[in-house]
Amino acid sequence: MASVDKCDATLALNEMMFYVRKSKELRERWNTDLFGLCRDFGVTAAEYEALRDKDVRKLHDLGVHQYYVPQMLRLFYGAAMNSNAHAALEAYKRAYPEESARALALAEKMEREGR
Amino acid sequence: MAQIVSAMAMTHSPGLTGWFDRAPMQQQLLAKKALDEMRWRLEAAKPDVILGFSNDHLLNWPINNVPEFTVGIGDEHVGPADWYDEWLAMATKYRIPGDSRLARYIVNEGARRRIAFAYLRQMQFDDGFSVPMHYLNPYNAIPLVPISMNCTVPPIPLPTRSYEVGVTLREMIKAYPENTRVAVLATGGLSHEPGGPRYFWVDEEFDLWFLELLKRGDHQALLRECTLEKMEAAGSGGTAELLAWIMALAFTSGPAEVLAYMPAIAWRSGTGMVVWSEMA
Repeated sequence: MASVDKCDATLALNEMMFYVRKSKELRERWNTDLFGLCRDFGVTAAEYEALRDKDVRKLHDLGVHQYYVPQMLRLFYGAAMNSNAHAALEAYKRAYPEESARALALAEKMEREGR
Repeated sequence: MAQIVSAMAMTHSPGLTGWFDRAPMQQQLLAKKALDEMRWRLEAAKPDVILGFSNDHLLNWPINNVPEFTVGIGDEHVGPADWYDEWLAMATKYRIPGDSRLARYIVNEGARRRIAFAYLRQMQFDDGFSVPMHYLNPYNAIPLVPISMNCTVPPIPLPTRSYEVGVTLREMIKAYPENTRVAVLATGGLSHEPGGPRYFWVDEEFDLWFLELLKRGDHQALLRECTLEKMEAAGSGGTAELLAWIMALAFTSGPAEVLAYMPAIAWRSGTGMVVWSEMA
């Protein structure tokens, strides 16, 4: 199964993200009252805890659309200069250490080869 | 009648504007040179309008209602959306004229030809159009008709479906009763898996194989060989942005010219720029 097929389009957290991204007020609430925000959108305890813990793998397993996961991390850490060294992406390196190490080693190899 | 005057395709990864200088210098130089070349060729074609194909990153439609295709029918397009300005390092909004008449024709004529195009009078813009417009239409001088597609929330259209829609759009444009010069621009791809377990990975082997298929110029062979499953295996939820390229392919005949390819892990996307010289 391709990873995007794990998405549960009916998950409350997926619905919530659409509105949070569009609203300055909700984005501020993300950082001041995440629990209350999640409650108002009907997010389950398991979804909330995975979000609070920035647990990328659990968010995927619960059915959060994979595109939304880095967007969630941006809400916690900010969006500017979101290169692979950004703090927001450390959560990916923790969740998928082998995949991440393999990719970043390839990037280093290509840079050494001048391409 | 309208005329197709150029067809091109390019990656729209946010790193191309948001953190461009984090890629190796050689990749920066290659990308810049190819993007300059694309802009010169686009300007030389003297288009009246860019017909753009890209994908919505869950920005315009909530996940409980994702149309297959959406046309931006506004008289003017303003972007990027607030959520994307910092991400794309675009502090100032751009304003690009639309071509409302052509856009509304596509929606209504599409319905007559049994394609459901949703529409938005005020489309929101993420990297899909913002990055290509930054490089190819920097003075916002060429009007844009944006068509976004869903390639990330299942069910994702098959390559054959995308090509079929491209063919119908080509026929519709050619039947458009205005003397309009139309430049086709597809954006997205190549291999990447935005937000997935392989977020940092680029599948260079797939990318080179796909570009080779474009260089061969045999559309039926490409549609036979490049299945959605192969795209998903090369990067789920992102590589299928190449469906926009397959829509553009339907406006062309003959081989594509690959201006550049970079397996740009720093930009988290296989990065390529392609032009076609023969129109269908």
